[in-house]
Amino acid sequence: MLEATSGERRTRATATPVAAEPGAGAAPGAVTVREDQRLILALGGHEFSRRRGNEALRDYVLALAPATRPRVCLLPTASGDPHDQIAAFRRSMGGFDCELSHVSLFRLESERVSVEKHLLTRDVIYVGGGSMVNLLAIWRAHSLDRVLRRAWECGVVLCGQSAGAMCWFEAGVSRSAGAASDVPGLGFVPGVLSVHYHRDPDRRRALHAAVARRRATGYGVDDGAGLLVRGTSPAAAVSGREGAGVWRVETNGGETVTETPLAHAPIPDPRPAIDEVPAAVRELRRVREARARHRRLR
Amino acid sequence: MATAPKRQIVTFGGGGFSMEAGNPLLDDFVLALTGKRRPRVCFVPTASGDADHYIVRFYRAFGSDRCEPSHLSLFRRHRTPFDPSDHLLSRDLIYVGGGSVASMLGVWRAHGIDRTLRAAWERGIVLCGLSAGSLCWFADGVSTFHGDPQRVAGLGLLPWSNTVHYSSEPARREALHGWILDGMPTAYAADDGAALHFVGTEFVQVVASRKNARAYRIERRQRQVLTTQLGTRYLGDAEVVPLRRSELAAEA
Repeated sequence: MLEATSGERRTRATATPVAAEPGAGAAPGAVTVREDQRLILALGGHEFSRRRGNEALRDYVLALAPATRPRVCLLPTASGDPHDQIAAFRRSMGGFDCELSHVSLFRLESERVSVEKHLLTRDVIYVGGGSMVNLLAIWRAHSLDRVLRRAWECGVVLCGQSAGAMCWFEAGVSRSAGAASDVPGLGFVPGVLSVHYHRDPDRRRALHAAVARRRATGYGVDDGAGLLVRGTSPAAAVSGREGAGVWRVETNGGETVTETPLAHAPIPDPRPAIDEVPAAVRELRRVREARARHRRLR
Repeated sequence: MATAPKRQIVTFGGGGFSMEAGNPLLDDFVLALTGKRRPRVCFVPTASGDADHYIVRFYRAFGSDRCEPSHLSLFRRHRTPFDPSDHLLSRDLIYVGGGSVASMLGVWRAHGIDRTLRAAWERGIVLCGLSAGSLCWFADGVSTFHGDPQRVAGLGLLPWSNTVHYSSEPARREALHGWILDGMPTAYAADDGAALHFVGTEFVQVVASRKNARAYRIERRQRQVLTTQLGTRYLGDAEVVPLRRSELAAEA
């Protein structure tokens, strides 16, 4: 059973090095950590805005960083490095005591940084959403698949939403080619992940089919929720808003699959969301819906 | 029996609507090559990450009064109402934008667009592009997108090497000479404002949108680098710059 956590904090001191790898010359500080100190946070849908749940998840991401002033890097590759995503990231994280950066693989000409060295010296790498197929194709073209594996092994927290959540798994349910279907990921974590789980019924159907066909474990993550993976096994489900959760989908060997909700604790929201509906209004709406249903049944 | 379609590729060293706002000479040239009164033109902005501002500039430059414009977004395929391959194969001209050639080729291969573009070429659809959109058609090339010059293998429709922005970036020239001596295929290099026109796999002419833009053939001759400045036709008037004598560069 998964434990519920509402933000955990690690310190540098707990990240015990297990081996100094000779090949890691590009980033002298990069030291391999034990498997249970490697974290991946897969968000089912998250944006850098003040809509409900987004700020709670952002705070959770920052709390995962093993440093008091975390170095956070955005990789917006999956949508082609758009300026608006980079600007929203900086706006959302800008009020905190952290060092922000982004790597645009489409504009390296003007950036001239050693991407490998930069990524290996971050505390958190946040991967934005977009096309999962393009994300992986571009990363491979720039050998970032290798760099990100190294970053993970060195204890850099890897997180992301949508395509940026599914990329770490064996496979993800993507719409990169139009229809929802399972496409291979980097394979750091076994299993198939689907994002936008209850918002997009096609993805849910595709996840169930993929779990039955691949004989694999599947995870369905809603917008506003996340799955925390420690090493290669799921450690916690987190939710930034009411109703958003994570489901485990398992095969029983045949065509049918079972879907089990994972227990999660809600992350407190720091301030009211801009689209928050007052509790009294929500209650009134529920009453009206129930009355309407009752009238239809009569 | 029908004759085989004429396979044509036009590669810009830099220029067209992306780099020469207000100078439509290269864009007009590729539109005219289609031989259609109102050609169907598809812009492929993959190398820029499908940047919105780039797509908007394409539609401004390729107005529907003189062509039927469209664009192919491989980052937002779930919002694209057509099949990418079917769409590309029904065009008269495919125009590839600039940016990161490595990212573009990776994405194309992931979506099978590399095979589609070869099929389009074989059907006689005119292919063109600048910068990354030039390098991609060749077997080999020199890109400086990641800072230092790097060799990049393109789709290989043209069995030559290529480099772009040739006179404006001296680092490319030096790196290219070294690789030519190492056995890289004969290279065609173009300045900003110059375009190389290939029919089949053979080079046929250089056209230019600026009077001083040039293109060059760079090849290995007896362990030396031979650079030939190619005769250039300025598209703004009828003036033809004659072929200059070839010059031998000392061993790099």
